[in-house]
Amino acid sequence: MKNRTSDLIVGAVVLAVIVTLLASLAWVQQSDFGQRRNEVVARVRDVGNARVGNAVVIRGVIAGRLQAIELAPAGWVHVRMKLDRSMEMPPNAVVLLNESSLFGEWQAMILERSALPADVTVRQQIAEATGERNVLAGASLPGIGKLTAVAGQIAGDVASVAARVQVAFDDQAARELRSSIRNVADLSTVLSTTVRAHASDLDTVAVQLRAAVTSLNKTAANAQRMAEQLDASATSGEVRKVVDNIAVASVDLRRATLQVRELVEKFTATQGRLDSFLANGDSVLKKVNSGQGSLGLLVNDPSLYRRSDSLMVQLNALVADIKANPGRYVRLRIF
Amino acid sequence: MTPVTSSPLAGSPSALVSWVERIGRGTRQRIADFGSTARFLGETARSFGEVRTWAPLFMDQARRLGVDSLPIGLFIAAFTGIVLALLASYSFTGAVPLYFIGTLVGKTVILELAPVLTGLALAGRVGANIAAEIGTMRVTEQIDALETLAYDPLAYLVVPRVLAGTLMFPVIVAAAMVMGIFCGWAASGLLLNVSSAEFLKGLRLFFQVFDVRYGLVKSASFGLAVTLIGARRGLNAQGGAVGVGSACTSAVVYSAVMILVLDAFWAVTWLLGREATAP
Repeated sequence: MKNRTSDLIVGAVVLAVIVTLLASLAWVQQSDFGQRRNEVVARVRDVGNARVGNAVVIRGVIAGRLQAIELAPAGWVHVRMKLDRSMEMPPNAVVLLNESSLFGEWQAMILERSALPADVTVRQQIAEATGERNVLAGASLPGIGKLTAVAGQIAGDVASVAARVQVAFDDQAARELRSSIRNVADLSTVLSTTVRAHASDLDTVAVQLRAAVTSLNKTAANAQRMAEQLDASATSGEVRKVVDNIAVASVDLRRATLQVRELVEKFTATQGRLDSFLANGDSVLKKVNSGQGSLGLLVNDPSLYRRSDSLMVQLNALVADIKANPGRYVRLRIF
Repeated sequence: MTPVTSSPLAGSPSALVSWVERIGRGTRQRIADFGSTARFLGETARSFGEVRTWAPLFMDQARRLGVDSLPIGLFIAAFTGIVLALLASYSFTGAVPLYFIGTLVGKTVILELAPVLTGLALAGRVGANIAAEIGTMRVTEQIDALETLAYDPLAYLVVPRVLAGTLMFPVIVAAAMVMGIFCGWAASGLLLNVSSAEFLKGLRLFFQVFDVRYGLVKSASFGLAVTLIGARRGLNAQGGAVGVGSACTSAVVYSAVMILVLDAFWAVTWLLGREATAP
């Protein structure tokens, strides 16, 4: 009787534990006993860190699990996914394997081909994987580790370039160049002041010349009037002759006056152009001083200067290299 | 006869000899212990052949050592799961998503805590029970009486206990796994406001059937070790009640140490080099 009781109790406990354990396992693994799921296969070149059991996501909703990952011929990997039967596949679907978080979780994302990210590599992978019947084209995005490695490499390259720039263009050189550009700016300011002063002198001379010419015109007019009076009143030949001479002189004087007037007009035009030039020059210098335009930036922005100097250094190095190794750049073939 | 001198150096050779003798005696005893243990294991294995002797006793031992130990295993697992969830929440705050509580509770309970803590508890309960029972029979000469009646004491006393321990430990540990995870889940939901979906997401994230297999195999080895050590210490008991008490103590201590050694052994042989997320 005791043995039978023990048998019953032990058997019941063992059965209960086994059933509970198996049920728990099936539940945790989301086992598909009733075949209530569809199988979808995708092919990719590399699955990254995707593993069996990772989620399959459609428009952000978990729609199933990765069922198996198998090597396939011609360097492909087949990824088998079990999707809930109620899930509707997007038209022209492709599969993207990517990290779903920073903690190493991966997922298979099913999306429309048109919704692929604008990444040349991904699109190339998808295009390459397209073609097998009943198999979706797939691609994998690089994981955080790979991206970090690439970023580290880029950072190393940038550091190398920065170190080379540092060697080629140190602080002393930058200070000297800035000083030189400041000197040029000062020189241009002095030049502007000088030109402005001379322009003032020219203005004064022009005014005086204009006044002189005006007086000369008046004098000439008076002389002509006097000559006409003399011509009208004089009867003797000598007077007539003198008057004729005076008339000739007057004509000459008028011609000279006209020439002076033309000269004055030309001078006035030249003065106008000079004023315009000075105004433009002043405007340019103001812009330079305020840091506008290329020259202004060159004067006020040390980084532009550094770039230009770096460019010059590199050009010098290139020229030196061309001189030293012309065969590397110019290849002459006779036959 | 030359008289023995009373020089201070006269005792030195005999002291040295005595010291060397002690080393030799100790070495011989260790080797004898090793040999007798090996002989005990060999005779126990041979006694498995006497099915008619141990089979009727197996179920009774399975009930006493296994089923009756189920409450203590479940109790330990329940509190382990709760504490693990709280510890995980405390450690993850602000840095790791809380759904990893499910991952940590699941992995830790299945791989380590359910087998080892249950094993240690059963080492006290089962190991001491076996050592005390067999030790008492030894000191009261009941085992001698069995031999007189042509019973094999190993087949009658040791084999059913070893079998029951080896087979029932995994049953208890499996129940403890389920209970530990369930209580961790309940604690996450009730005390930490972690939703069931999040807990299950973390639990499923790195779950593998291998983990369960590993835990169960490990617990079976613990059961084997605990029952063998208890039976061995009980059979070697001498000197009445004091000897029985000493046998119980040494059985519990050796069983606990052996559980930790086996835990490390399985980890090294089965887990080392195995990828955690491999299917």
